[in-house]
Amino acid sequence: MRTLLVLFLVAGLTGAAAAADEPEGDVPDWLKALRVRGRVAEEFAYRLHDPGDVSKLKTLGWLEGKYTFSEAANVRVATRGYYDAVFAATDRYPDNVQRNQEKELELREAILTLSHGDFDVRVGRQQIVWGEAISTFVTDVVNPKDFREFVLPDFTELRIPIWALDGSWRLARNVTLEGVWTPDTTHNRLPKKGAEFQFQGPAFQFRNPVVRLPDGEDELSLARSEGGFRLSALREGWDVSLIYYDEADKTPVLFQRRVPQPPRPDVIVLEPRHPRLHIVGFTVAKSVEPVVIRSEVAVSVGKRYETTDRGDADGVVRRDTIDYLIGVDFPLVWDVDGALQLSQKILTGDAGGLTRPGVQGQVTTSLALRLTTGFFDNTLNPSVLFVIGVERGDFRLSPRLEWVLSGSLTMAVGADVFEGGRRTLYGQFDRNDRVTFTTTWRF
Amino acid sequence: MCKAALGLLLALVVVSPAAADEAADIVRDADNYRRPGESFVWKINITSHEAKKAPSTDGFEVYVKDRGRSLVKFIAPPRNVGRSLLALGRDLWIFLPDAGKPVRIPFSQRLVGQVANGDVARADYSGDYDAKLLGEEIVDGVPCHVLDLKAKTKEVTYAGVKYWVAKDGRRPVKAEFYAATGTLLKTGTFDGFKEVVPGRVLATRLTLADGIRKDKLSVLDYGGIVVRDIPEKYFDKNSMKSLD
Repeated sequence: MRTLLVLFLVAGLTGAAAAADEPEGDVPDWLKALRVRGRVAEEFAYRLHDPGDVSKLKTLGWLEGKYTFSEAANVRVATRGYYDAVFAATDRYPDNVQRNQEKELELREAILTLSHGDFDVRVGRQQIVWGEAISTFVTDVVNPKDFREFVLPDFTELRIPIWALDGSWRLARNVTLEGVWTPDTTHNRLPKKGAEFQFQGPAFQFRNPVVRLPDGEDELSLARSEGGFRLSALREGWDVSLIYYDEADKTPVLFQRRVPQPPRPDVIVLEPRHPRLHIVGFTVAKSVEPVVIRSEVAVSVGKRYETTDRGDADGVVRRDTIDYLIGVDFPLVWDVDGALQLSQKILTGDAGGLTRPGVQGQVTTSLALRLTTGFFDNTLNPSVLFVIGVERGDFRLSPRLEWVLSGSLTMAVGADVFEGGRRTLYGQFDRNDRVTFTTTWRF
Repeated sequence: MCKAALGLLLALVVVSPAAADEAADIVRDADNYRRPGESFVWKINITSHEAKKAPSTDGFEVYVKDRGRSLVKFIAPPRNVGRSLLALGRDLWIFLPDAGKPVRIPFSQRLVGQVANGDVARADYSGDYDAKLLGEEIVDGVPCHVLDLKAKTKEVTYAGVKYWVAKDGRRPVKAEFYAATGTLLKTGTFDGFKEVVPGRVLATRLTLADGIRKDKLSVLDYGGIVVRDIPEKYFDKNSMKSLD
């Protein structure tokens, strides 16, 4: 075992250091085909509002290996594990949250990639990422997401990998057709009741007793398998793609039914279901030096929302939904790069009675501005992200300062500030403002 | 006076295309010292120097095909490993492991030190610039053609380049890179000429100095050169993640 570990480390260091005319030494061919790398991070967060206390003391480790058999075949495996000592350090969180978030060891990737001419196939546990914009999920619809820490972690950490078959066929130069099929219908992972970033639920006000059923569907199912395609083309600098994806809604929708219990009042049963969605969309990006413009549109046909309308039999209404964004990246003075993004969610129908955070009405508008720069040859990198919900004025402000100590070691201090009403996307975390400190070592 | 003007006009009409052709030929010949073949892989070490600071080194592995298509993998230091750049003509994407997908970026954006994305992703001035022969000068004892290169489109790293190419052998000697405003951005010198591929001499070092602060230097060392056919998947943005 120890020998294997040494070989892994040697392979990782060899891969990282090889450059220019550096001699590669007597490393055997089979070992050259192996690449190992990883990182270890310590994440600390302190909640500013009452009770001011530590809210994260997380130690994370990632280890990834790739073995290249030939130009046409390789296999890649990646794992991630973490332990959050905040649950041992405080007693603020209930047991169910501790069980759910204290520790985890997860297979993040296990992919066999095969290529033949213009065909590539990737089979196994993976992330399949569609879309042009960063920090948004408009057409990033294939993988479910882990929202237990809201949308604050990196997006590769938010995506939950799935078992899937992903094939690409280059139809012509710069024209690619990609097909995806998966029997893995894993849902979004939501925080448990009492968690730091627990979402506000629907504002039901029942007079009757209520029973909420667990969300217990099998995550692997051939009958409920999902799939779709993406056609991408690059012409005259316009980078365009069309997508279609058929999936079960990854966020549960609470359907209601009344169960008579004579002589007692009816019991209201809330049953989480995942209605089928047909998502049609397109993306476009174009560089007009030194500016980049990008846009994404997704129409979710069959989208359903909970309603507080007592006249509705199952407490759920269908509202096909259009999500789109328009973004522009541009350079400013003093080497500052800016990115401005406007996004809207438009419901095809009345939004009265819908109470889901993130849906403020028939039209929900969000404006995001990100500024980044680098000092001292990019060893000190400040950035700030400001996102505001236009209708209700709720916002998130996340400044961050990254310090590159060496080629392997980085430290970052930052803050996440939320403001707004209790039933708004960012305002629901109004009391969760925090400062963060992160150290990352890569090898 | 009128005859003289007419003569001059005729001379311009007749001579200019030939001069432009010669200028284009010179740039094309000089490009051959900056690329070992039509399809090849090389490694580039970029060492950034600045007064009172320890130099830092970044490593890249670059896959190039068909003048204008290249994939640049970041191989050192560890904090950058996993990133890659894909250039298809004048379109450029970066793959960031944190985002998990390729993202469109401009060519002129700074990569590291004094080096722009286009400095690494493209080694082809003849495809990007229209050339005009300005005259001749001696640079460090080497008689050179002096050329004025103007960007063919706005999607090129620099708006203009003043280019010195040796008269003997037409190897690149020096270049000044300008913004659209006419500001000198940086100066480059080519050296380390070696026969790294049989029958082909290449410039294995390009030194870029900041246009204002001359103490800020980036040295690009080219090595590990392999001329071979590279599969098409290397130039498909949808494959960037799996090629990491």
